[in-house]
Amino acid sequence: MILLRNKVLYKASKRVYKEAVLHAQLQSAGSNQQRYLERIEKDRIARSPDIIYKLLATIYIASLTFLPILSVFSMYRQLSEGSSFEWLNFASGIVNGAFFFIQLVILVVFALMLAWGIMSGGPYEWIHTLPFSRKEIEKIGLLTFVRSINVQLIAMTLVLPIGMTVAISLTIGPYISIWKILAIILLSIVLSLVNTCFNIGILIILSRKLAIVMEEYDFASKKASFIRIGTMFAYFFVSMFIFSVVNIGIQNLDAFYGLNGLSIKDSTLISNILSFVPYPFSSGYLLSIFVLDFNGVAPLTIVGSVIGFLFHCLITFLVIRKALTILRNISSPEIKRKKIMRRKTIVEDIVTKNLPPVRAFMKRDLSIITREMQQIVVLILPIMMPIYTAITGYVEDFHVIYGNTTVTVYFIIMMVYVLTNTMAMIVSTTTIETGGETIMAALPINERDKMKSKIPYFFGTIVIGMLLSLLVMIKSPIFIGTLYLTLSFLLVFPIIGVAGLLLKVRLFGKFRHKYVVEEIKGKYKFSKYVLIILLISLMMVMFIFSAVVGYWLIFTCEAVCLVLLVFTFNYMFPKKEWKVKYLF
Amino acid sequence: MSIGKEPMIKVQQITKSFGDVVAVNNLSFEVKPGEVFGLLGPNGAGKTTTVKLILGLLELDQGEIEVFGLHPEKDEVEIKKKLGYVSEDPLIYKSMTPKMLFDFITSIRDLDEAKTTEKLRYYLESLEAVEYYEKLIATLSRGNKQKMQVIASLIHDPDLLILDEPLTGLDAKSAKVVKEIIELHSERGGSVIFSTHILEVAEDICDRIAIIDRGKLVALGTVEELSKMADKAGADLETIFLKLTQQDESVNHIIQNLRKMFHNDKKK
Repeated sequence: MILLRNKVLYKASKRVYKEAVLHAQLQSAGSNQQRYLERIEKDRIARSPDIIYKLLATIYIASLTFLPILSVFSMYRQLSEGSSFEWLNFASGIVNGAFFFIQLVILVVFALMLAWGIMSGGPYEWIHTLPFSRKEIEKIGLLTFVRSINVQLIAMTLVLPIGMTVAISLTIGPYISIWKILAIILLSIVLSLVNTCFNIGILIILSRKLAIVMEEYDFASKKASFIRIGTMFAYFFVSMFIFSVVNIGIQNLDAFYGLNGLSIKDSTLISNILSFVPYPFSSGYLLSIFVLDFNGVAPLTIVGSVIGFLFHCLITFLVIRKALTILRNISSPEIKRKKIMRRKTIVEDIVTKNLPPVRAFMKRDLSIITREMQQIVVLILPIMMPIYTAITGYVEDFHVIYGNTTVTVYFIIMMVYVLTNTMAMIVSTTTIETGGETIMAALPINERDKMKSKIPYFFGTIVIGMLLSLLVMIKSPIFIGTLYLTLSFLLVFPIIGVAGLLLKVRLFGKFRHKYVVEEIKGKYKFSKYVLIILLISLMMVMFIFSAVVGYWLIFTCEAVCLVLLVFTFNYMFPKKEWKVKYLF
Repeated sequence: MSIGKEPMIKVQQITKSFGDVVAVNNLSFEVKPGEVFGLLGPNGAGKTTTVKLILGLLELDQGEIEVFGLHPEKDEVEIKKKLGYVSEDPLIYKSMTPKMLFDFITSIRDLDEAKTTEKLRYYLESLEAVEYYEKLIATLSRGNKQKMQVIASLIHDPDLLILDEPLTGLDAKSAKVVKEIIELHSERGGSVIFSTHILEVAEDICDRIAIIDRGKLVALGTVEELSKMADKAGADLETIFLKLTQQDESVNHIIQNLRKMFHNDKKK
């Protein structure tokens, strides 16, 4: 009977989970909700984006096991080549600690979007009207959450024990006995379980916080916008940073172990300190100590890692307890009401501001962009990608790899990113217009103002991104070469962007009965196409032949194109109506 | 349906606060079998909170509620088996199609498949919603979502219907059908709590009306009894309501100011 009831609860949790997925998707779609709904109506696969997140997270978590596996191989190799036990213990403790930490970050980054849908509490509201007791609904809450990370959960629990079994079995030799192998596998299981529990707890706590930020804050307040943008920036930055670290880390792991960069005394001292840190180093050092079979490990490091791990267990217990309380609360019908009441705002004064139309449009666009994950990513990318490219180029030392052609190679990689971002921005800036079209259609809008409000995104974010990337490269040997190229190309991509935007308006401004942005003067289509395509082609030719043409030619060409762009813009969106009537 | 003579719902001196805000304040009433009981009040009066307290979705601070002689917090499962609820905003799962939704309800409520199918077909046809049966609920219009919610509340043949603004978004024909269902349900001995601020509807279908304002019971009775209380014999429910909730003077004041503003604008 109990089993049958549990089956019913598990079945119910599937529906709650699906509702949470939809909830999260609608939240991230923001003003594109209608379009998203149209898409999922036709496309059944689009209804389950969670599967992709789960698969990606599992692949990343599984591939992350290379860190401890390669660590074991490298440690034994370096031991035979004369590296000290102390240094290897220190390096392995750090690498294993990084493994546990990155596992948490991957789980959070990929599950956060879905988890916040569950944590909003919304998906549990209807279930309360069905014949379930509160205890049963709490159970459904837990099952729903487990469903959202089921594959990752299995991966996180199993990858380390399996990975260590493989690694240790392959490297069995003079440094390790068969009993120690069993001990290492057992330890891996314990470490995996504790860290998995800790990771789940952290995910629950973080996603609840995000759910509060995304749903229950007063969306209009500056504080709320700041938190929202900050959260999204952090989300984006962390994911990019981690993937770079994993990528670079795996490539250079063996070299790191072979560095022997610290003296025995210093290695021991740092290991002694770090082993006391409950998360993530105590687990990392415990694993390292067992792999080294306690050889050359200071007693204080052993004691430290045991005490640190016991503390980690205690912290995990507290985190899980807090997480379970959150899960109980969000499946309780009272929670939402409490939060809403807490954030009741007091309107002190009612004042309307009459802003110039261009500024009003910009303000509207920014408020939309900062509420939508997809939109904000498009806004952030032109700033982040060049910086990311610069960091990667700096870390991997392009100069060593590409020699004399370094500047050109680096610059081409960066420009490909910038060009992609420009294209994404063209789509994004017009997508904003597809939401709330009924309200817009009822307002006396001058399309010129609407179009003008989009231009700063191209001339602002793209230029800022390119300039900021220079700051990262300031100490690089390719800085001067990159500086010249960047400055000379500063206007190329904003010009391509605005010209692309004009082309999109010309082609799809009024498309499939959907109002987006319509040019004021609809005549002389051919001449407009010629102008826009000429603009884009000129800029592209400049870019492709940048190695041959001189800086001054690029500057001149940019100036000419800028004038052409202003002319085309005014041609499509004349300043005054009489111009439309009498001049054209 | 098993209906006795005892009141279906007994609400005795209940109070519920959210922080400093008292949403329901010392409220008492009873709902008899076969009665359509209206809960009337301005926005934020405490109607939805009262409904949620009856459903056991919120915990009481003070007082006592009995539904079918049972306690909503202790016997919630038994109560919910015999109860149908329509919320102000459709709470039903939008990630499902109506087909999936009704299959889910049939499974969870353990209903007879043949009987439920027959009833479902009848309700869908009556509310002209057959064509949406396999469409995703999220993509339906507000009115069609509401139709599905109404059907979901009726499909298990409940003894008690709790309807929070059930006609929101419905077209005239569907609204008429839903009103007819409510009447038929009460004729069969079932009770209805009908929370609304549309006074014409309340006047039309409710046997007794409780007027709530700022969480307190202002008046309780039939429309005739309320008109006597308001000292407005023969007046419509709107006039009675404004008088009893002491909003008549403030409404007159607002109207005067609006007239002045429009008049001045015209002059300019």
